[in-house]
Amino acid sequence: MTGTEIYKRTAAYDREARDIRLLAPHWKVLLAFDGQRTLAEVALSAETSFAEALPLTQKFLDQSWIEETPITLDQYMKRIGARDIAGTGASVPPAVVLHDPKKDVPVPATPAPAAPAPSMPVPPKPVAVTPPGIVPPPLPIAPPPPVKPPEAVTPEKGATSKSSRTPMKLSAVVDFITSLVGNISLGQLLVYRVFLRVPPELLLAEDIASVHLANDTSLVKGEKLQKAIGDAIEAVTKRTLPDSVFAAA
Amino acid sequence: MPLHEQDIYYFIDVTLTHLNKITGNEIVLRDPTIEFQSLVFSAYTGLLHLKGGAEGFVYITASQQFLNFLYNFRQSRGKASEEDCREVISDITNTVAQQVHKRFGSTLKISEPRIFSTVPDDPIEMPPAVFVQPIVWRKEHAYIVLGLASAETT
Repeated sequence: MTGTEIYKRTAAYDREARDIRLLAPHWKVLLAFDGQRTLAEVALSAETSFAEALPLTQKFLDQSWIEETPITLDQYMKRIGARDIAGTGASVPPAVVLHDPKKDVPVPATPAPAAPAPSMPVPPKPVAVTPPGIVPPPLPIAPPPPVKPPEAVTPEKGATSKSSRTPMKLSAVVDFITSLVGNISLGQLLVYRVFLRVPPELLLAEDIASVHLANDTSLVKGEKLQKAIGDAIEAVTKRTLPDSVFAAA
Repeated sequence: MPLHEQDIYYFIDVTLTHLNKITGNEIVLRDPTIEFQSLVFSAYTGLLHLKGGAEGFVYITASQQFLNFLYNFRQSRGKASEEDCREVISDITNTVAQQVHKRFGSTLKISEPRIFSTVPDDPIEMPPAVFVQPIVWRKEHAYIVLGLASAETT
């Protein structure tokens, strides 16, 4: 461990949390692992010395309460303050992690309302209402991020330049958009802004009622929807979709 | 003045900060989703309408048990009644409203909090997409839901 690793709490932690017994300062460290801060930053925020945080972190890893979180090239370079790959000291571009296979338990397609308590007269249910016919005005121009991921160095001419018969992986689209911002939470909101511009009727026509911002398994097959997503990304981020968002033939 | 992602995230961040303050940083985030068809409502909901710099709404909706835990966290007070649950969710919503007003001032108009149980009395217009951030505390769920009328946030 060097202190630059980023860890997040796991599903195992969530299951066992109520039974875990730790000293209060150790809880502070454990709860500071948020999948965004480095180990060194976690130690700092938990007011624990790095030397003390190391064995604690190892203990949490051994218990499977935390796991290391991969980050994108953009996020890495932003963290180290490099403006391009040369600034990282790497002779070849490091791999970009677009997909973390070891995510927590996936969230259901439509977040299920919590189970009603016995005293609740009516179980809470999601309410569906018709989207309004709002025509979005032109988008504000988002300032370009300082570093382009490798896929965006030689962008495709249009989002659907690859054969429109090739399905588009929604998870890869989400990962691409998120990678444009050096912060996962902000990246997810950028994804949201993109999808605010995609006509919901096109999504629903392909049975896509929701997008999971981690490990979405949906494939976009329709040319219209692929184009709408590509156009929305261009409008919001001024970037074009890379070929890598399309599933292999 | 356009609201950037950081500004939009503030709605979520301020809610999480408040809940973490109450729970001693025990709130766990689940992976968010973007919903196109339906809104999610749990047992009790506190909703704020937004106008101005951003048009839409933000709300927190939580199970009765989630609110019961919050109600009893500082001191054991027994099972929270419906009125207690409304008070807890109202307190969270008011705090969010105050913090958001403090940050955005007159550029963003925030409605009075709407507190309701199960589903809203008056229908809420479904925006093109809503951002749903699930949170877990003591195995109980709550959701922070953000619905903007469009990607344009000016």
